[in-house]
Amino acid sequence: MRSHTRWLAVVSGWGVLLCAAGGGAAPARAQESHIGGMTGHAAAAKPLYERYCAGCHGDEGDARGENAQWIDPKPRDFTMAVFKCRSTPTGTLPTDADLFDAVTRGFVTTNMPPWVALTPGNRADLVAYIKTFSPKWKTGHAGTPITIPPEPALSIESMRHGRDLFQKMECWKCHGTSGHGDGPSAATLTDNKDLPIHPYDFSSGSRFMCGVTNRDLYKIFMTGLDGTPMPSFADDIKPADGWDLVHFLRTLQPLDTPEARMWKAWLATHAQELKPIGPPGTGQ
Amino acid sequence: MRVRDLMLVGGVGLGGTAMMIGRAATPPGATISGKVTFTGTPPKMKPIDMAKEPFCARLHAAAPVLTENVTTGPGDALRWVLVYVSAGDQGSAPATETVRLDQKGCQYIPHVLVVQPNQPLDIYNDDSTSHNIHPLAKVNAEWNKSQPIGAPPIHAKWESPEFIPVKCNVHPWMHGWHLVLTTSHYAVTGEDGAFRLQGLPPGKYTITAWQEQFGTQSQDVTVTGSETKSVSFVFKATPY
Amino acid sequence: MRVRITRRGGTAQMSWLLSAAVTSGCLAAALALSGGRSKAYTAYSLAVHKASAIPAFARKYGLRCSACHTVWPELNAFGQRFKDNGYQLGNERDSPMWQSPAYWPIAMRTTPQWHLESTTHQITDAAPAGKTLSQTGFDLSGVDFLLLGTLHKNITFGLVPTLDADGTTGLEAAFVRFDNLGQSPWANLKVGKFELDNLLSEKRFTWLSNNGGFLYAYHYLPSGSANNFGFGDNQIGAEFSGHSFNSYTRYSVALLTTDDGEPGLPGGKSMDAMFTLSQAFAPGGGLGPQRVGVFGYLGHRPTTFETVVGAPIPGTGAGNKSFYRIGATAQLWLGNLELLPLVSHAQDDAALGPGPEKPTWNNALLEAHYVATPRFMVQGRYELTRMSTQGDPATPQTLGDADAFALGFRYYPFMISRDGMALHGEFAMTRTTGTAPLSGDGSGVDPADPATKVWSRSLLLAFDFAF
Repeated sequence: MRSHTRWLAVVSGWGVLLCAAGGGAAPARAQESHIGGMTGHAAAAKPLYERYCAGCHGDEGDARGENAQWIDPKPRDFTMAVFKCRSTPTGTLPTDADLFDAVTRGFVTTNMPPWVALTPGNRADLVAYIKTFSPKWKTGHAGTPITIPPEPALSIESMRHGRDLFQKMECWKCHGTSGHGDGPSAATLTDNKDLPIHPYDFSSGSRFMCGVTNRDLYKIFMTGLDGTPMPSFADDIKPADGWDLVHFLRTLQPLDTPEARMWKAWLATHAQELKPIGPPGTGQ
Repeated sequence: MRVRDLMLVGGVGLGGTAMMIGRAATPPGATISGKVTFTGTPPKMKPIDMAKEPFCARLHAAAPVLTENVTTGPGDALRWVLVYVSAGDQGSAPATETVRLDQKGCQYIPHVLVVQPNQPLDIYNDDSTSHNIHPLAKVNAEWNKSQPIGAPPIHAKWESPEFIPVKCNVHPWMHGWHLVLTTSHYAVTGEDGAFRLQGLPPGKYTITAWQEQFGTQSQDVTVTGSETKSVSFVFKATPY
Repeated sequence: MRVRITRRGGTAQMSWLLSAAVTSGCLAAALALSGGRSKAYTAYSLAVHKASAIPAFARKYGLRCSACHTVWPELNAFGQRFKDNGYQLGNERDSPMWQSPAYWPIAMRTTPQWHLESTTHQITDAAPAGKTLSQTGFDLSGVDFLLLGTLHKNITFGLVPTLDADGTTGLEAAFVRFDNLGQSPWANLKVGKFELDNLLSEKRFTWLSNNGGFLYAYHYLPSGSANNFGFGDNQIGAEFSGHSFNSYTRYSVALLTTDDGEPGLPGGKSMDAMFTLSQAFAPGGGLGPQRVGVFGYLGHRPTTFETVVGAPIPGTGAGNKSFYRIGATAQLWLGNLELLPLVSHAQDDAALGPGPEKPTWNNALLEAHYVATPRFMVQGRYELTRMSTQGDPATPQTLGDADAFALGFRYYPFMISRDGMALHGEFAMTRTTGTAPLSGDGSGVDPADPATKVWSRSLLLAFDFAF
């Protein structure tokens, strides 16, 4: 039979596959990311971006992917280079590790899933690629991450001081007097694209968008969520006092945390010692 | 204190007087002056309901504050119009005086503020309520800072020329502008719509007027010596 | 209809070796297990119901096909994690309560096509010595109705009714899964009819043709065997599985009824068991992580049945005899080149036929995908099956050996988050010794001479779409 011909076909078929594998390099685009000891290359990430990201974030990174019209909140517009979850002060660019963590973690309650299943190399490449969409990455550098003092031991005093800060900093104006996200200004909030946005509802118990740890929570109000109404309190809250606010905020979540347990136990006998949170003189 | 600072701080109180802003009180060179007016029917400025911020509502209990996006004056004058040299400027020295922005009675004072790149800008909270200052910059870095009651001024500056809308998320009616210009030849019209650009060396200039809702208009003007040339801008107003 | 390649004894040279009792029992069992359906002789009957690319998920979550699929329907690491998590992204919006009431978790897939089939040495009435039979023309696949999603946060369902092009209906999958038991990704329980946790999935296969659209590794049975097990067939049972947070470490154990997915408990009361274990690593910059895994299956099939008027009574199977399959597989990435090797070893009890010895065989395959872009891939596969011990020592050592080779491409003209379409081209060839190809092409009758090598070829051009 014609088995020789058939085997020739087999061999040449594999040859085609292997040649194609070797010749796939794209022209380099000199942009890198550095996360730990890892270096990401934007040049490698174009097909990855098309595969995973462009449907929402758009081919040009302008948040105008074909699916963007259907989702709320809207995808990040990389051309603006404004990012919510940073370790750096408000108004500065995030570190590569901040972006890497955001890609890995995703954004809970949004359409942005955790991309943790992608290889770290792929994620590092994507971070490098994201940075090609705004000239700000060429002219500027990432901000210097804020210094976070070590977390002190949990105490009622810490939580009570945190509660005082919640009142004094007027967190309740947006997040509500009991953290339900229903403060007097909540209904009118808009983001930097003038789209409605809701303050975090602590009673939903959902994870924080920028990470689940107390340290992540500390960063949220000390750096602000740029592009949103959530400002930075770095000028107003002393670093050590920040932990007090963290401890109090945890008590607003319906979760079984050490903070919530301690607070509930104390509250059972001391509730009347607390002045109500809210505008002065309203009794609330 | 420089004249310019006086003007900025006192601008609101001066009412109908044009705010003339130049590098010096009597600079040598030519002057371009004129008036900005409108034709047609401008939108009616609405009273702002500050009920959600009792402190500010009490301050304005007698006369509610109006929105400021199209502020008019007698004789169809347009207020809060920036007039500046958009082309032909032969170089302006960087400004170093500190510009002041006040948050007072849940309003930005002034509504339209001009700075030059890297010029110090101090932002004060004069109210017994918290504000957050959220400049929606695109070319410059967008930031957002809280400023509680009694907090010290926020020291800021802008690096690049840009017209930046500024808002307070807590008080959504608070709206203002930070206009970052490289030129030092600019003016913001007062209630009479008048402006005056002084100390211009001889040459050909493009003079541009910018109004936040009606956009920009430009005219080319050539000046020599110490002459004073008159230029007028007329914006076509629509009620919506 | 799933890929049904159950081999039934029919060759004259085999049957004399079987005792009368075992023969009748096995044949009766096989008939009962297969529901009495005739063998797939027609060309279009195989290349259907093999894939789950589910645009309902793309619509629910607004992700392009390429987010979950290397090229659909093959899963990538992100899609594997999504599936392992019970078709949930974990963004606290997975419950259908968060969807618009108009959203319905349904997708459909079908494949209009032109194809050519040709098989040598086919016995016909006019040519008892065999001749080459060919078929060619425009054709249809069946339709898969893919209803999968969540009933609630951490409660997943799947339902896949199928419709063959000839009108036959089926139930390919029907299961409920309880995800993240005790808030842990390591504990998930699935009950119903579902695909085995095959790392190299034949249901998410990028092959469609009669001779290319299945793996010998997943369906091969020795000539004359009464066994009907196939890895590629969805099974009925319960699966307990778990995975690390990123799904790089995965395991599953399953208990399955001994019916190869046929409902109604037609077989015996014994149970089959399966385990899988795999681990992925992420060095380098390939398109996905490097994964290696092992799997094993211990099954039973009855050899006798209670009968009435000579007909077996379903569910009364007894004299269960065991068989096992063990293997190892991997998913390896070199840049955009994906290599999918698989080796397996199989043995059936002698009582399952066809002779006094335990038939034993080995299988090895290497599949390669070059994913040039998220919308274009070319692929190749070579697979070989070799008998190491014939059940019937009188038969030639090479009887039943099989080689399969395939080349193909898939091109996706667009990539969005609503539906998907692929232009599919494929050429596949098999060489089987002394037996008809598993595709069933030609007359489906084994050649007279057990040393004859039968060549079967498929050429397919298709529009594969899912919406």
